[in-house]
Amino acid sequence: MEPENTPLATWLTRFQIHLLRLSRQNKDRWAGKMFLGMTTLPLVLVIVMFVALLIRAWPILQAKPLWALLTGQTWRPLRGEFGLYPFIMGTLWVTAVAMALAVPPCLLSAIYLAEYARPLTRTIVKPLLDLLAGIPSVVYGVWGVVAIVPWVKDFLAPTFDKYLGFIPFFAVDNPTGFGILAGGIVLAVMVAPFVIAITYEVVRSVPDGLREASLAVGATRWQTIKYAVLPQTLPGIIAGIVLGSSRALGETMAVLMVVGNVARVPSSIFDPAYPLTALIANNYGEMLSIPLYDSALLLAALMLLGMEMVFNGISTLILHRFTGREIA
Amino acid sequence: MKIHSRFTTVVLASLLLLTFVNACGRVPAEGTKSTIAVSGAWALYPMMVRWAEEYQKSNPSVLIDVSAGGAGKGIADTLSGAADIGMVSRDLSAEEVAQGAFGVAVTKDAVFPMINAKNPVLDELLSRGVSRDALIGIYITGQVTTWSQVINNPAVNAEIHVYTRSDAAGAAEMWAKYLGGNKQEDLLGIGVYGDPGILEAVIKDPSGIGFNNLNYAFDASTGQPVAGAMELPIDINGNGQVDPEEKLDTKAKAIEAIATGRYPSPPARALFLVTKGKPTGPVRDLIVWILTEGQQYVDEAGYIQLPKEQLQAELQKVR
Repeated sequence: MEPENTPLATWLTRFQIHLLRLSRQNKDRWAGKMFLGMTTLPLVLVIVMFVALLIRAWPILQAKPLWALLTGQTWRPLRGEFGLYPFIMGTLWVTAVAMALAVPPCLLSAIYLAEYARPLTRTIVKPLLDLLAGIPSVVYGVWGVVAIVPWVKDFLAPTFDKYLGFIPFFAVDNPTGFGILAGGIVLAVMVAPFVIAITYEVVRSVPDGLREASLAVGATRWQTIKYAVLPQTLPGIIAGIVLGSSRALGETMAVLMVVGNVARVPSSIFDPAYPLTALIANNYGEMLSIPLYDSALLLAALMLLGMEMVFNGISTLILHRFTGREIA
Repeated sequence: MKIHSRFTTVVLASLLLLTFVNACGRVPAEGTKSTIAVSGAWALYPMMVRWAEEYQKSNPSVLIDVSAGGAGKGIADTLSGAADIGMVSRDLSAEEVAQGAFGVAVTKDAVFPMINAKNPVLDELLSRGVSRDALIGIYITGQVTTWSQVINNPAVNAEIHVYTRSDAAGAAEMWAKYLGGNKQEDLLGIGVYGDPGILEAVIKDPSGIGFNNLNYAFDASTGQPVAGAMELPIDINGNGQVDPEEKLDTKAKAIEAIATGRYPSPPARALFLVTKGKPTGPVRDLIVWILTEGQQYVDEAGYIQLPKEQLQAELQKVR
């Protein structure tokens, strides 16, 4: 019970004394090193996670060719069939629908808040949006089950079926309401605060001089936004959309509760889907008793990590192209 | 100068904190509560909460933390050490036992097929019941897709909306076992998370069919079916109609059917508490209490007591 006697405590005490004796230059060097260390930590973490997942996923990669796993359409772990294709497609479908629903209104509202809104409106709306970002995802899930799923079932699905049902993309084969559209709507609301917040900040960061110059030559407000402000902010807006998509890609609980969880490749926004995140969350507990199951689930996790990486990689490339310089 | 001194202060403060934490880690946990973490099946969750309440009344030094997340999670948490006790609503597999899972049967319940109270053919369903073959057609082969096929009346045209559990669940496992010895992954239908979730889906969908554990199928306080949903009677003896003893429209009748063995098993089944290896210390005390004094709360919590001999056998296993 005497801390002074433990080796670590002794070492720490010595270290403290040592630190007090350091010169200013040494302290500066130390600080720099510490900051560098803390900065590299996340990078190291990503690599460690990647390697750990790869090691755990290795058994299934040995048992089956990777290509067969990625393109296999049947998921029957008990019969040794581990096709991940429906789950990959499920993730992409839900994310795409969510972003398609979220991006246009988010951009408009961010531009409104940044350019048109009075300060009072801003001070009221901004905290509300931040609040939206802080709501736990399970609450969104419950809201989805209670409100969105019935709405899709009783209103959207019949309406689309009647007028657009001949297009396969809108065909209603699943009248329960649980499906990609319900998941997409819930996700769209969840990512909205992020997209709006980033777009807002980016638009606000454009110097007022630009606006004044544009307005001075007789441009209207909209013309100013369109020709002076937006071109400056495009990379930042793309960054905001990418961040929102990453969040949509990785969201689990809210999606899982409304998306239907059927391991089949969807062909319509009303079909049920089974995203990778839901696969892992639903089954991680049950993996113990089935050979290779655990490994297959960790492969799914690895793929999710890979997808996020590819996604961010592509977006960085786009940004790079656009501006011809590095974007932080 | 100021920046540097502040920097030193911050570093020193964090180091001192480290020293302190280091020292604290060595203090033995004296006089603190011992916490028992319980995780797993939705089926056993309401019962376990009741047991935890009663046990903590007489043993204030024990803190019991109960969370529900499905039988699979219960076993995984227990074997990984994240929970002390797992609640499991299905039989343990050989692999799980090989990894050290030690199961004790504590009570019994069953899984029931559920339909919406506004089902388009409700009256026919309640008078004729549903055969096991029809359920297999709905849930396994997918050959039964309309309610008219279930009641053999082509005049009615109403699709069946099939719901199953998305999470690894004992209820789904037992339901699949009943329907021709299958596994959860063989069940068709839209996957919904959790016992309350699948019930909610059926309540919201007049053409829906789902399955629930006893305590979600019936309202806990009244013993009547949960508002908006009904137990779909199974035509157990296959005579084409629902006999009085097959009609399980209240919780009391359902409990009696399970206790007397009239309701088939599966989907009736024993519920287990699982520990990693033979339980010791406070965990063992709790399980022993559940098998003895705790049994008095089983009826009022809406579960079915195991036969006396089996309780004795389970007690022997733990002691």
